[in-house]
Amino acid sequence: MKYHVLIIAVLLIAGALIAGCSQSQPATQQPSGTASVIKVGVIASLTGPASNVGTNMWNSAQVAADKINAAGGVTLKDGTKAQIKLIVGDDESTQTGGQKAATKLITDDKVDILVGGYSSAVTSSYQQTIAEYRIPYVVTGASSPIITHRTDIDTSYIFHHCPTTDSYGEYTTLFIDEVVRPAVNKKLGASADRPFRLALLYQDTAFGKGIQTAVNNTITKNKLNIQLVSQQNFKMGDTDFRTQLTAIKAAKPDAVYNGAFPNEGAPIITQARRDIGLNTIFLNAENNDNAQFYKDLGQYGEGVIIESRFSPYTAPAGAVADAQNEFKQSYFKRFGTYPDMMGASTYDGVFIAAEAIKKAGNTDKATVRQALLDLEMPQIIEAMKDQTCSFSPDFRESTFDLWMEQLAYNATLGEARPSIVWPDNLKTTDFVLPSWYVAGSSS
Amino acid sequence: MDDPGVLLQIIFWGLYAGCIYILLATGLNLIFGVMKVVNFAHGEFLMLGAYITATIFFLSGINPYLIILLSMLALIGIGAIVERLCFRPILGTGKLNEIFLSIGLMYIIQNGAAMIWTDNWQSIRSPYDGITVPVGSLSVPLDYIIIMVVTAAILCGLYLFLKKTTIGMQMQAASQNRKGAMLVGVNVERIDVISFGLGCALAAAAGTLWVVSGQVFNPYMGSIPAVKAFAIIILGGLGSIPGAIIGGLLMGLAENGAAYFLGGIWKDAISFVILIIVLVLRPTGLFGEKGE
Repeated sequence: MKYHVLIIAVLLIAGALIAGCSQSQPATQQPSGTASVIKVGVIASLTGPASNVGTNMWNSAQVAADKINAAGGVTLKDGTKAQIKLIVGDDESTQTGGQKAATKLITDDKVDILVGGYSSAVTSSYQQTIAEYRIPYVVTGASSPIITHRTDIDTSYIFHHCPTTDSYGEYTTLFIDEVVRPAVNKKLGASADRPFRLALLYQDTAFGKGIQTAVNNTITKNKLNIQLVSQQNFKMGDTDFRTQLTAIKAAKPDAVYNGAFPNEGAPIITQARRDIGLNTIFLNAENNDNAQFYKDLGQYGEGVIIESRFSPYTAPAGAVADAQNEFKQSYFKRFGTYPDMMGASTYDGVFIAAEAIKKAGNTDKATVRQALLDLEMPQIIEAMKDQTCSFSPDFRESTFDLWMEQLAYNATLGEARPSIVWPDNLKTTDFVLPSWYVAGSSS
Repeated sequence: MDDPGVLLQIIFWGLYAGCIYILLATGLNLIFGVMKVVNFAHGEFLMLGAYITATIFFLSGINPYLIILLSMLALIGIGAIVERLCFRPILGTGKLNEIFLSIGLMYIIQNGAAMIWTDNWQSIRSPYDGITVPVGSLSVPLDYIIIMVVTAAILCGLYLFLKKTTIGMQMQAASQNRKGAMLVGVNVERIDVISFGLGCALAAAAGTLWVVSGQVFNPYMGSIPAVKAFAIIILGGLGSIPGAIIGGLLMGLAENGAAYFLGGIWKDAISFVILIIVLVLRPTGLFGEKGE
């Protein structure tokens, strides 16, 4: 009797398992490349040191998918309308987490295209998986040029919708030369040929070292009168920067350029101003244009500079302002906070993925890749060169219109707020040296 | 030639970092000394101390240096529960059980904290933010002086507790010879609970001082300090409180010295380089005894 019960139980379980397997079959029984649902995998850091930015990316992707689906979804070649289905993969802010997330999204969830990826160190760790499965990937967060420039693996399915450290490192250095250097000389009453004393404090990763390389190359290439007086580094996720800042202060810099994430950038500036007495201008990479960064800085945000292309608290006058504001309001309505720059890129990334699949007419990976290569769509919420989203033929990189912001402390809010100070065609106010600013040396 | 003022400043930051490490490592050593258990989740108690302090501060605005007492009391309770429910059942069943139990606890506590407080980085501002005091040729923030004084006060309090109270002496007895202590009538299970709770309270104090110094914190902040705390107690000698104090100071000074002379990326590595050198020359650590 017992054996009969056991056999029946085994048969029932086996039956249930077979039924379960067959329920997942319809998707694979469809002709290759067609779909009623487009699965978009979003790789984001939902946990770990970069979770603030990662959560913002995932939330923004959801806002984008909702908007696309509400407008009817994506029209395929056979005339059917497919809805976007997002599936998130948490890279845990680590390389092993990134590998797990990418592998799961590709092999288990069988996504049609990938979007996201924050931290160049993390993203580069699973590029081999992308190359192996040849799945189109619109990278929207990792900014090192190695993402599409590396030659050790095939990067042909990777599209970089994020300014590289080369581009914004150069942009920031040119801003220093054109705007900050004359202002410091004027304050000191120094001659125009006084070398500007710049210090770097950068994360020891592809991202941070990318900024360091870009600054050095820009100074050399353009023969700028900028002297790098101190170049200090730190490990990703570090929280105590006092020793490096003490070394920087001893080098008497006119300004400090941080190659840091928001969770590092805010403590760097706070510790420098409060603990070290380093009262100088801090320039920051665009990933710091993040609501949490403003909150963590408090009054120490006064005078801080951020290179940007999307801000939670300002927008350049012109074509993208309305689109950015609509996105911010949709995001705020759903999540109660404002999106950041990486969120904006990821929002764009989902639209780009949808557009590529629409142009391809199906979800065949090679066809979608070709559609991305040929892509020419109007800018979405980020200001693009020629107001067009497209990828360069050599390294498949988007080109953005960037700007520089300066923060001013708002005592009522208890936080600083940005205004665009450069370039001239976008600026809303002029760059100013704060009253407490101390230049490196008078000579 | 480096500016002596800069070197003094680096030493000062090393002493500050050392204070956090001393409290964390002393707590860990207290637990190991009495119970001989390996607890990799010790850094999570530092994290809980940080969050409890920050939460009370956000809700009440009470001076965070006063909240340190509440935070330590809360962690005594949490530590006692963890000891009773998790470590006591597996005591003496092998180091592997302790290691995997504590790794499991790490994840449970981290994820629990992320559910309660989210995993965003946070920070608080001390009421003494921006106030500096002259110390010799240096001008240093008042907060760091207070942190050093509070650390010294806690260590003095611990010394008096261990030397002058019956429970303290029973803890020393259990640490030196657990069976011997049982034979003379010491209730070692009660001592285990108290030791574990006290060790967690010291981690909570470290967490409080971490947040009042303005450092950012999130639910995963405890993992690296816990690994360093283990390195410190091995460096100083397992079970030795003076070893934990000297080891913590050495670690803080070495890290900041390495960041200055070799670069920030050597900050974590240098401690382990020193650990390896000390273990090669003196396998029992600086203050350890044979058999530990």
